[in-house]
Amino acid sequence: MAEKTKEYWRWKEYNWHDENADPKDAETITAGVDVGSVSSQAVVMLDGKLFAFSNMRTGSNSPDSARNAMNWALEGTGLTMDDLHYTVGTGYGRVNVPFADRAITEIACHARGGNTMYGSTVRTILDMGGQDCKAIRCDERGKVTNFLMNDKCAAGTGRGMEVFADLLSVPIEEVGDLSLDIDEEPPPVSSTCVVFAKSEASSLLREGWSKKRVLAAYCSAMAHRVVTLLERVGVEKDFAITGGIAKNSGVITRLEKELNLKALKSNYDTQIAGALGAALFGKALVEKQRKKSAV
Amino acid sequence: MFTQFFNWYENRHDYARDWLAKNGGEVMGCFCSYAPEELIYAAGLLPVRMLGAHEPQDVTEPHLFGMFCPFCRDVLAQGLKGRYDYMKGIMISQSCLHLRQSYASWRNHVPNSFSYYLPMPAKVQTEHSRPYLKGEFEKFKKALEEWTRKTITDEALRESAELHNENRRLLHEVYDLRKGPNPKVTGLEAMVLVASSFMVDKRDHNAEIKRILPELQSRTLDGETGSRLMIIGSENDDTAFVKMVESVGATIVTDDHCTGSRYFWNLTEFNGDLMQSIANRYIDRPPCPSKDWEKRTRFPHILQMARDFKVDGAIVIQQKFCDPHECDMPVLIKYLKENDIPCLFLEFDVTVPLGPMRIRVEAFLEILGEEDLF
Repeated sequence: MAEKTKEYWRWKEYNWHDENADPKDAETITAGVDVGSVSSQAVVMLDGKLFAFSNMRTGSNSPDSARNAMNWALEGTGLTMDDLHYTVGTGYGRVNVPFADRAITEIACHARGGNTMYGSTVRTILDMGGQDCKAIRCDERGKVTNFLMNDKCAAGTGRGMEVFADLLSVPIEEVGDLSLDIDEEPPPVSSTCVVFAKSEASSLLREGWSKKRVLAAYCSAMAHRVVTLLERVGVEKDFAITGGIAKNSGVITRLEKELNLKALKSNYDTQIAGALGAALFGKALVEKQRKKSAV
Repeated sequence: MFTQFFNWYENRHDYARDWLAKNGGEVMGCFCSYAPEELIYAAGLLPVRMLGAHEPQDVTEPHLFGMFCPFCRDVLAQGLKGRYDYMKGIMISQSCLHLRQSYASWRNHVPNSFSYYLPMPAKVQTEHSRPYLKGEFEKFKKALEEWTRKTITDEALRESAELHNENRRLLHEVYDLRKGPNPKVTGLEAMVLVASSFMVDKRDHNAEIKRILPELQSRTLDGETGSRLMIIGSENDDTAFVKMVESVGATIVTDDHCTGSRYFWNLTEFNGDLMQSIANRYIDRPPCPSKDWEKRTRFPHILQMARDFKVDGAIVIQQKFCDPHECDMPVLIKYLKENDIPCLFLEFDVTVPLGPMRIRVEAFLEILGEEDLF
């Protein structure tokens, strides 16, 4: 019998909630659901404070992915979807979140979420997501002032990194650190297309390159690619990175070096930035609604 | 209300065939909005500007360089696929190399009995361009007369010029109805209205505009106007894109496209010599960027239009590899931003992926409005 194939691309799916907070004390309970191309997150906030979230892989069906993420975030909190005062959907599946009160783009949500995660001094946010990459400029409130997205192809995004983890049989969460454990920085892989880059990596392995060296070459190519995007939109301090790739030290270290700028650090999971921003917009919207009906 | 224009636009080939059956004569395919349609029409021909079909195709690869624009590709594909098999004559008024290559390939590989290259000057800003273009128009007129074996009388030419002017005036009247707080025409309708004018006998087109105008004046569109947008760029008849934009909280209230306002914006002013008057109109029209040197006249024209139509922002589209526009865009976007018109830049191809475009448009609209989120 064939041995079960290990899925190296799998990143940690998990949920969390704040054991010390009591939702009963909250005046406003809002939620944000970010249905991305690769991962989905749901965030629940009590009066604008992070209370619970989940982070999981997106399935083939957006409404189901949204529901699953939301239910998982609510698990064990004593709350149900009926307790949510306002829910905002975001991400590429944003219009397919059946229980959302409103859909807002992930560009606006990442800027707003980034503003809370990294502080109001952030002016440039790089969202490195599953299948696209966005360079966002924002003001002190986290309102978008300009943005640029990668077009043409998905090189330089999370899905590409997953493909590489699989090819080299390296767990995705170890890719970054391994790619930095080298004596000398190799030249980046020359192709930006994930599929072509994979062929190129295969031939490098055949030439005798170590896995670490191939990973370094790929992380470096990815970093270079997003720097081009950032430079087009213009990088202003402070600078922060959201999305799954923000967890990859191999890409981030090289990116910082090329930009000659350090990205801010945060205690939040960088993957929840979009859902967090969505929940914060939900709070602003529900409060305005209440004010209106009070008049 | 715009059903007839949509019918014409969607069934352009049926219209042309019917026209031929009814009127005799020939259909003359034009490659650029600089084609002097009044001359062609005066010769008893139906001038038709060829536009693309926005479908993936694989027939133009041997004819055009890889870095030529999607529009010239899409247009040539229509010829090579035989979609214009009823068309015997083609002509180009020189504007750019990409489209000229489409013309040359069409001439050599699609059956035709008349083809004409009209060297429309690039430097319209020199006074020499006026007598030069008049002379070229005279030569073109002669070529048309030889092909049709009919003389174009001054009377026929004047009548045709006036008919075309009337179309321009009527299109202006419709555009004016988009200036108010509640535009009476959607961007999609305006796009199809102007594009259909390229394909239809101006008598039919004028009559239909006149028919709907009274009703149009008192029309109220369903739904909110949302953000008022201007759309700027080269050729654009991507109706799917415009429809998407207008479905996410915006109305396109005006444009600077050669398939839009640039086509009809200025009228022929009849001063003395008829052919000179007609030529002057093409010299003086809002230019394609390939003809806007050294003085940049497009920028103040676009800004004035943005102000007249009270736009909140502009979508600047670029047909991939369109060099004249690509060269303009960084400066144009900077200029508009300096004048408080936010811009979104998008790159177009033969087909446009609506999902990725949609998020960019929505995020742009969120920048323009959505103060309620904070």
